Amino acid sequence: MTSERLSLLSAALLATFAGSSHADQTTPIQGIIDKTPNLVALTGATVYTEPGKKQEKATVLIADGRISAVGTKVTVPAGYQQIDASRYTLYPGFIDPYTQYGIAAAEKAKRGSYRDAPVYTNERKGGNASNAAIHAEKDWVTEFEPDAKAAEQLRKLGFTAAQSARFDGIFRGQAFVSSLGDGLANELVLKASGPQFMAFDKGTSKQSYPSSLMGSIALIRQTLSDANWYNNAYGKTDVRYFNEPVEFNAALASISNIAQAGVVFETNDDRSLLRANQLFNEFKLNNVAMVGSGYEYVRLADIKASGRSLILPLNFPAAPEVEQVADQLDVSLADLRHWERAPANAAALAQAGVPFALTTYRLKELKQFWPNLRKAVKQGLTTDKALAALTTEPARLAGVADRLGKIAPGYQADIVLADGDLFADGNIVATWIRGQQHNVETVNPVEFAGDYQLTVAGKAITVNLTGAGDKLSGTATAVDAEAVKLTDVKAQQQQLQFNLALKTLTGSAQVAQFSGRLTDNVLTGKWQIATRAESVSAKRQTAGQSKSQQAKKPQSTAGTMLSKMTFPNRAYGLPELAKQQNVHIKNATVWTAEQDGILEQTDVIVRNGKFDKIGKNLSTPSGFAVIDATGMHLTPGIIDEHSHVAIEAGVNEGTAAVTSEVRIGDVINPEDINLYRGLAGGTTTAQLLHGSANPIGGQAQVIQFRWGETAEGLKMKSAPPSIKFALGENVKQSNWGDAFTSRYPQTRIGVETTIRDAFQAAKEYKTKLAAYNKLSKRQREDVAPPRIDYRLQALVEILDKQRFIHTHSYVASEILMLIELADEMGFNITTFTHILEGYKTSKEMLAHGASASTFADWWAYKMEVQDAIPTNACLMAEQGMLVSINSDDAGLQRRLNQEAAKSVMYCGMSQHDALKMVTINPAKQLKIDSVTGSIKVGKQADFVLWNTNPLSVYSQAQQTWIGGTKYFDIDTDKQLQQQLEAERAALIQKVLMADDDAKAGDKDGYKQDEPEWHCEDQGDWWQISNHLHLHGHSH
Amino acid sequence: MKLSKTCLSLFVALTGSLAAGQVLAHDIVPGKAAATPVLLTGLTVHSVTSGVSTDTDVLIADGKIAAIGTDLAAPEGATVMALDGKHLYPGLIALANQLGLIEIEAVRSTDDSTEVTQTNPDIRAKVAYNADSEVIPTIRSNGFAYAMVYPSGSMLMGQSSLMQLDAWNYQDAVVADATGLHVRWPNASTLGSRWNPKPADEVRKANAEQLEALQQHFKDAKAYYDAEQAGLNHGVDSRWHQMLPVFKGERPLFVHADDERQIRQAMLLAKQYGLKLTIVGGRDSWRMADELAAAKVAVIYTAPYGLPTRVDENFRQAFITPKVLQDAGVQYALSLDGYWDTRNLVFAAGQAISYGLTPEQALRSVTINAAQIAGVADTIGSIEVGKAASLVVSDGDIFDYLGHKVTHLWIDGRAVDLNNRHKQLHDKYRQRIN
Repeated sequence: MTSERLSLLSAALLATFAGSSHADQTTPIQGIIDKTPNLVALTGATVYTEPGKKQEKATVLIADGRISAVGTKVTVPAGYQQIDASRYTLYPGFIDPYTQYGIAAAEKAKRGSYRDAPVYTNERKGGNASNAAIHAEKDWVTEFEPDAKAAEQLRKLGFTAAQSARFDGIFRGQAFVSSLGDGLANELVLKASGPQFMAFDKGTSKQSYPSSLMGSIALIRQTLSDANWYNNAYGKTDVRYFNEPVEFNAALASISNIAQAGVVFETNDDRSLLRANQLFNEFKLNNVAMVGSGYEYVRLADIKASGRSLILPLNFPAAPEVEQVADQLDVSLADLRHWERAPANAAALAQAGVPFALTTYRLKELKQFWPNLRKAVKQGLTTDKALAALTTEPARLAGVADRLGKIAPGYQADIVLADGDLFADGNIVATWIRGQQHNVETVNPVEFAGDYQLTVAGKAITVNLTGAGDKLSGTATAVDAEAVKLTDVKAQQQQLQFNLALKTLTGSAQVAQFSGRLTDNVLTGKWQIATRAESVSAKRQTAGQSKSQQAKKPQSTAGTMLSKMTFPNRAYGLPELAKQQNVHIKNATVWTAEQDGILEQTDVIVRNGKFDKIGKNLSTPSGFAVIDATGMHLTPGIIDEHSHVAIEAGVNEGTAAVTSEVRIGDVINPEDINLYRGLAGGTTTAQLLHGSANPIGGQAQVIQFRWGETAEGLKMKSAPPSIKFALGENVKQSNWGDAFTSRYPQTRIGVETTIRDAFQAAKEYKTKLAAYNKLSKRQREDVAPPRIDYRLQALVEILDKQRFIHTHSYVASEILMLIELADEMGFNITTFTHILEGYKTSKEMLAHGASASTFADWWAYKMEVQDAIPTNACLMAEQGMLVSINSDDAGLQRRLNQEAAKSVMYCGMSQHDALKMVTINPAKQLKIDSVTGSIKVGKQADFVLWNTNPLSVYSQAQQTWIGGTKYFDIDTDKQLQQQLEAERAALIQKVLMADDDAKAGDKDGYKQDEPEWHCEDQGDWWQISNHLHLHGHSH
Repeated sequence: MKLSKTCLSLFVALTGSLAAGQVLAHDIVPGKAAATPVLLTGLTVHSVTSGVSTDTDVLIADGKIAAIGTDLAAPEGATVMALDGKHLYPGLIALANQLGLIEIEAVRSTDDSTEVTQTNPDIRAKVAYNADSEVIPTIRSNGFAYAMVYPSGSMLMGQSSLMQLDAWNYQDAVVADATGLHVRWPNASTLGSRWNPKPADEVRKANAEQLEALQQHFKDAKAYYDAEQAGLNHGVDSRWHQMLPVFKGERPLFVHADDERQIRQAMLLAKQYGLKLTIVGGRDSWRMADELAAAKVAVIYTAPYGLPTRVDENFRQAFITPKVLQDAGVQYALSLDGYWDTRNLVFAAGQAISYGLTPEQALRSVTINAAQIAGVADTIGSIEVGKAASLVVSDGDIFDYLGHKVTHLWIDGRAVDLNNRHKQLHDKYRQRIN
């Protein structure tokens, strides 16, 4: 905040208002009752009554805190205090829909480390939620304490009302709307109960769960579901499924009406916005506004399609640090692009017709608000849209559109009085809130600016004054002397003082001190020169103009953008989404991964995304593109049974032994560059698995590497649901450090009981649900329904053969144990993954009906892989098992063909069988083999063209196709490389030429690339991301 | 830097002697010196230094290569091995790894790779080298005869040694003692760790402090060296005493650095003290290959399989870097800086052929170039008369999965048992298949 000092006058006025504000209706009066009237007429103003509606020379009448009349023909009734606003512009008071105004902020999250001891429980009191990130029951209006200083800072920006709650946790509690005036909370509250503020970030919660984004999403999902259940169950007398009365739960009670009360959800970027949208769609919650990030422009169409309203912060990123050539190594093209485009985000949203309000949230310094908003206007945001985003839009979002947001009769008298056009260079002079005037500067100040012919010490001089208020300054000149700067220039109402050193003008060493006053354009006063006084008087010769009179208009000066926009918007993104092609591939060596084996000199025709014909010397259908594949090898797209690429904000929710409620599908990151790199290695499909931190991990997601699409677009809809289980060292926390020795289980013997008990619970849960579903409608009226438990639901799906297990496993004993347990509890294991001792137990796995997915040759890195051997795949295959080779690693994922070749080398597997281990075999394991995994007529055209035998170390993917759409081409890649280097260089030049204003912003205002996730990566994502944001600086 | 391997815990186990019982000596006996000469016939010989010749014979005698030619006559009593059509290469050399120092990465008690403190020039990796490591035979069986093992840590990490991989103990494994002093260069990028992110200014400050600390260590060591020359030292400083050969130019400096900025800083320091510099890591070496060549800085490039270093870099950047170094005339060798995965180095070199090297150049990068960097090119690294008879036979192209099949390995003329734990477990459990 700037420390602009208020003029003495306005400070005095403020003090007066504070003392005379009328008492509320319930406080007993002490002393004399204040009955000062508040009837004001602002006359002759330019008035924006609402966005897009302007009246010139209009009058606004304010009576008892409301606007009683507006118009050009309104006459000022007798008894009104008239304020000449003819030099000013009036706007409806601004509303910030996302603040913590009047609420003590949460203490900053303690810097934690992943080595800290885990916290598994929450402090329980008052019927709160079991998770410390849920504060849904908080009714923030009850904690509201008006904050004069904060209110004044917001008023200086033109804000007269705010919607507030504490920014802490996932469910943050119910917001309220208040005026930013002075007074008791009782007077200022405009709407006591508003939307629930929410976010993915667990904030200051010390509880370990959730440690990942997918954990947060699962917690939201469970809580929203619980709210529905609670609504239905609480108080019912028949509690047959609980054997005790349904508990009181304040958190759930408070969100039982969330559909009506609405949600304001804080997002971090476009991905998080679309993710939140998806989640609320599941619950058909329409009344959700998203706090934006500035990244919305990169997925504009999808965000518009979401239909959500936005609340946009105006923090822009600081220019990437390219001043030193060496530091350019650390700057990405994506960041350079965002620096250039972020200020144009609001304009892009407005043009697309996405409704949004503006907020001061995320500004490191409030004084950045107007400069940044003007940047947005320069980038094409119309002033009408900008004004709507400050008035009618936030009024609508906060549910106060009937009272706030317009200058109209009946509306609360919340008005901004500005000198000039705020969206150009105007400044805010005063606000009225509920009819109370709050000056930022003096209204109608005496203007001293001009020239005055005076004499001092016998010398004729011209005193030239410029500026006003605190910025009043001046010079004195004589015909034979250089200009001398006046010092200590002070104006107060009509009075003026300044000092003048006489040395230059008269040669005297003395200082002349002027004091006088300006009346009727005549400055009268006296010089005090040491003991001598001289009276003077002069008429002002030229008068200054107010900004309103200068009428500077905001201008859009958006220059040409140097940055490209691509999908995703980063290096190697595509200028437009890739399109399906019909193509005739001629004369390739075709590895079918079917019984046909390897076909020499064969043609393949791809039509409408599918393999249409396979044969020799086929004729090219009309309109089909032709690829001459002479000398090339054509294989099915590579499929990876075990991958952690394209997962955002945590691969493990390792904070509980069973987390079957979390879903990798919730956290797909379509911008992960490893997708593109995978394509370059021929990979088209992968199962993204939860990590291996717990015996029953999260739900998996099969994706296809459709580079450029959104998270939803990557998902392979035909893949049935699957889930990660894990056994051994990771789940028993062998290598997590000394702090992690308390979670059950700590041994392989405990892993068995953990899984057994979870399935036991799932069975009982299933029985209860079935029993409830059999009840008649009438019976259900009295019966408290069982609570939907997403954790157990996933296990029920397993029992129902609707969800398939891929279990991380290494040693023989744990493999046999899980098979025994599966038989006992009635579930199947689809695939043992990693399974480095699979060769010891292949008979048993085969008998169970399980398949195996293993590493080609990894071993020795931990105790449980000491017996891993590179012939594992061969031995399991020899036993008759379905075997695949997986990567579990972004680097390996791009040479799975080479990994498969190791079985040819180490144990003589046939080349075609080896290739099947990374194509049709994993397709079978993922149960997508009817769709993909081989070159077969009717299957989806997922294929790779290689320069040579794909099992050779010398092979390189030339083209990679998914569903008849080409996503990678080695020649296009070279072009992209050249283009991006040129674009990078141009943007770096642009930064180097930019002025400080264009460079200023948040250094942490960029998306962060994810670390390469591995299945054991276990840190608390929220602590990691908090570090970053706590340390952000601006310059 | 060790490879961060999947499903190995992020956290180092703080306790754990449980593995001790597993790390047993195995029953694979080091090869004995042959009593008589051995004549290998009919091979395609990849000599490294004088091209490839087919249908060629090689005579091994007294542990050395005694003759190379066509239709060599077998000396009296010689064993003749007909290896018609097979490929003969020099025993491969894997530089800069931790073979023998780590048995099971996650089990702390089996890891002797990394010491604390920043000033350990006196540390010698070889003394912890476990000649009985179960890992070593799995490396040999892919054609490797030598490894240069180094001690890890921060800053002045210690001395590496070149070991031959078929030994009873570390003493008879050592081929070249103290092949160099290894230094881990401090971070020079402005990006903090993803797991502990910090703003650029804080990172720069920390970088500067670390760099200054490292420079101070060299100043102190140089002061000791200068005083030593003048006979003014009061006693032996164990640390700086081991820096004397470095300042004398007798022991090269191996600086572990990937970032262009680190490499530049290291080059400045090497120039300041007149040290022979080799970069280990070298991800950014392609950005400055001409400078490295001009300054005669060698590179042990450890990312032949690497992901791109930065998101804007091309997917193949790490793969084509060897070719860039080759074209610029940089002396370089390829390496995988780990331990168990060293056996894949031969295929990483193969992939470098796919991305631009000729097969001869790729072979040099794991033989003679490596020998030169380790200072032993006069005795190993190529098939030449008089050099050690460290030779490997493969049925086909040793670099390609489709040809690689190692059938024989000799180190100093001793036939190496190519059995290993993996083959043993394979043979055992193959009995169970029905």
